[in-house]
Amino acid sequence: MMTGMQRLAAAINGTESDRIPVFCNLLDQGAGALGMPLEEYYSRGECVAEAQLRMRDKYGHDNVWSLFYVGKEAELLGCRKILFASDGPPNVEEWVIKSLDDVQRLQVPSDVSSHPAFEEGLKCLRLLRQEVGGKYPICAYLTASMALPALLMGMEKWMELLFLGPAGVRDELLARCHEFFVKELLAYRNAGADVLVYSNPFGSTDIVPRKFFLEHSLPWIEKDVRAVGTPGLVYYCGMSRMNPVLATVLERTGIGVYYLGPFDDVREGKEILAGRALTCGVINDIRLIDWSREEIRREVKRIIEAGRPGGRFLFGTGVMPCGIPEANIRTMLEAAYEFGSDENGRIR
Amino acid sequence: MNLPQLITVFSEALFDTDRERALRLAREAVNEGITPEEVVFDVVIPALEQQTTALGETLELNLAQHFLTSQIAAAVTEEMVSRFQRAPAFIGQGVAGIPRFPRAPALTGRVVIGSAQGDLHTLGKRIVLSCLRAQMIECSDLGVNVPPERFVTEAVSQQAPVIAISAMMVHTALGENGCLKVRQLLKEQGLEGRIKIIVGGAPFRFDPQLCQRIQADAWAEDGIKAGKVITKLFQEVRP
Repeated sequence: MMTGMQRLAAAINGTESDRIPVFCNLLDQGAGALGMPLEEYYSRGECVAEAQLRMRDKYGHDNVWSLFYVGKEAELLGCRKILFASDGPPNVEEWVIKSLDDVQRLQVPSDVSSHPAFEEGLKCLRLLRQEVGGKYPICAYLTASMALPALLMGMEKWMELLFLGPAGVRDELLARCHEFFVKELLAYRNAGADVLVYSNPFGSTDIVPRKFFLEHSLPWIEKDVRAVGTPGLVYYCGMSRMNPVLATVLERTGIGVYYLGPFDDVREGKEILAGRALTCGVINDIRLIDWSREEIRREVKRIIEAGRPGGRFLFGTGVMPCGIPEANIRTMLEAAYEFGSDENGRIR
Repeated sequence: MNLPQLITVFSEALFDTDRERALRLAREAVNEGITPEEVVFDVVIPALEQQTTALGETLELNLAQHFLTSQIAAAVTEEMVSRFQRAPAFIGQGVAGIPRFPRAPALTGRVVIGSAQGDLHTLGKRIVLSCLRAQMIECSDLGVNVPPERFVTEAVSQQAPVIAISAMMVHTALGENGCLKVRQLLKEQGLEGRIKIIVGGAPFRFDPQLCQRIQADAWAEDGIKAGKVITKLFQEVRP
């Protein structure tokens, strides 16, 4: 049997495999797997690693995560207050940037790897690498320069500054976020993360007008990518659609993997990429909360049938909500394994 | 410029997110004899509705445009309201001592709005608030992380027939301290006929059926549609 890493490599290179790679993004479920409250769970890197390994063994998917929660990035930049829930992702409770004057005061750590807020993440990565390194892709989540300010000042205030505020302050903040992005990515890469999810809702024309995308988002994306290189990088717009910008991003950055939004047309995405990159077809996982077994199977089949022909395809989820029943997770994954392979056990 | 022409050019200014042009058009219209009331009711509100049509037909209205459009429409409405010849009042309520005009500007009703308990997101709520204000719906913003009890006590004390709950995460949309608890409190206090619940936020866009699961009366996918849905809810509420 092939490992997740082998399946991913085969999909990227367009070579033979036993089935398509299947990424299932289970994060907060780890606390439940260990029977712990979320706050305690996320305070210990060994717990996150242990739960990721247990969940992968249990469900058989092809990836593990080093991500704790998205607000970790804000903690690395000075956030001291996170709001924990019992049944969902933690959130930034106190903004690092409360006024535009704070932009000048924003401190980018000189070395992300040695920052106290990165310590448990490093511990988790070390354990994951030790247990499944080279066998299953270890994913890391990195917020793009243009999206990071939303974690530091809130989306509302960032939209205000981005579109209506003083350009000098906006550009200063973007420059600092870029500096952080580069340092953080290199820290993850050095610690052994293989798949670097480059998250950028502002890289989707669901969020910004195409003109803004071309004039502002794209140059910052190019700058980010140029600084770190494309190895391991996955273009992701936070569940927003990306088909309208796929060709441009591919041509201008050379990123090799595109994690579509659930409302993107998978067939169209593949046609645009035309074998030049890996297409990831993503299920609308919020529907998994209520869908019947038949509905889940039908949707998985639809996505895979659209994406599998011609190879270079991965099936994936968004960040799975805690409310999805375990039976539905299993149904989805079993369907993905079934429809993502051939009777003779080899696909190309 | 006549009203139909004004609606067209104002809509273009909104779609282009050109705040200065939108304000200039409204001011010029008033200088040319169109009343501020007409600007709000016959230009701003129809223009906002045209944005919804554009969204349905072309899928080109993105989040940034929606945000900017709502801010511009709210700014124009705010300026026009300040020029109204009588203070806005709720339909059916008179305002003593203020002269009546042939077309009395009316606030169509009041809404208390906030982000569900555990939810700290503000952008969606702000867009909805601006759209509602631009549509002459009075709003009381309860902020973020609002406990379910507060939604109900504020709706009662402010005589608001609609509670609007914003939730940007699945667990705050579906959680026991969100809409479900608000519904339970309304039931316990015998208020279901007098107060309706509308919900909105990303999870509902990904699965509109969640609205029924959490026993909301309605949901709206954007701020402009929220105005229409809320206006309909006002009409369903027992006096």
